[in-house]
Amino acid sequence: MNDFAELENELRKLRPALASPFLFGRIEEAMDCMANGRRGDPARQPERSPHNWLSLGFGLAAAAVLVLFAVVKIQWQRERPQTIAKTSPTSETIPALNAIENSNSPSKFIPAGATQVVYNARDEGLHLPDGLERPVRRVRYQTQQTWRWRDRETGASLRVSYPTEDVVLIPVSGQ
Amino acid sequence: MALIDKICTWQRLEDKDREEVMENIASHEDWKSCFSELAPGLLLFARQWVHSAADAEDIVQEAFVKFWRRNHNIDNRPLLYAAVRSIALDFIRRDVRRARREAAVFAETESAADPQFELDDDTQSALAAAVDSLPCDQREVLVLKIWNELTFNEIARALGISQNTAASRYRYALSNLKKSLQPQ
Repeated sequence: MNDFAELENELRKLRPALASPFLFGRIEEAMDCMANGRRGDPARQPERSPHNWLSLGFGLAAAAVLVLFAVVKIQWQRERPQTIAKTSPTSETIPALNAIENSNSPSKFIPAGATQVVYNARDEGLHLPDGLERPVRRVRYQTQQTWRWRDRETGASLRVSYPTEDVVLIPVSGQ
Repeated sequence: MALIDKICTWQRLEDKDREEVMENIASHEDWKSCFSELAPGLLLFARQWVHSAADAEDIVQEAFVKFWRRNHNIDNRPLLYAAVRSIALDFIRRDVRRARREAAVFAETESAADPQFELDDDTQSALAAAVDSLPCDQREVLVLKIWNELTFNEIARALGISQNTAASRYRYALSNLKKSLQPQ
């Protein structure tokens, strides 16, 4: 390789052409786009999040929990005797929240709130159910229940929201 | 409770992701110093495939932004040069007709092409012309070795060849240059 040492030195004296000042500006713009997560040309597109599959898994798990809740609720309503009933939002949410509070899970998620929003109430008129002497007014409530948990340490929060439908039988007294 | 555990794992990943974002923001300004050092060599390397300085700049810009976005670490230089090469080849394939037209124009009016080097005298002009006349596989190794200061190992990784092949091509390049520069 020593035979070429002089030639190598001569080659190193050749200076490649410098980049135009506009190139720096263009790259800076692309870097800013990247930092802000904006979409630009293919070179500037933000990298696909590596947590997409994880988010999908999380979403599926949440959906599975909702389906489980729905099945349990339907089963519970079928097994419940046909008596005058009124579903209270607190009677359903508080035990569940207490169960999580009392659990031995290593997670630090604590209940942060539960809401029930009635977005539709339909009066289905008077009915005379079997086994009852007096007629009852049947009212169907469609609600959206939302539970929230919060991890105070990390600030992460979990929210589970699902629709419910309650049927309330109100006894009618004769005048 | 299994769901909560899954959420905790997800949360940990989120924290890690946040750290990466912060790292990215911290290193956002570092690219300028890295790029100012590497830009002339990168442009020269890109010019092996395109005749126009503007096209070479487009290629280098795309490669550097991609590289910086994914690596944030300039130590892995072979990857950067591999990206430049890959994007340059894509560039040629993407617009073959344009490349042919440019090649034809370049062949006809060679002096009109953007200079690859800043030349001080006739000796350097002759040397630059000799470099330009080298076979492509030898020239790219020479460019990576001399003006980008990559090791043979790094050149091998950048070009997807063995280290021995890289060294051999470099020797052939120097030998050919010496022959072409010898007085007739």
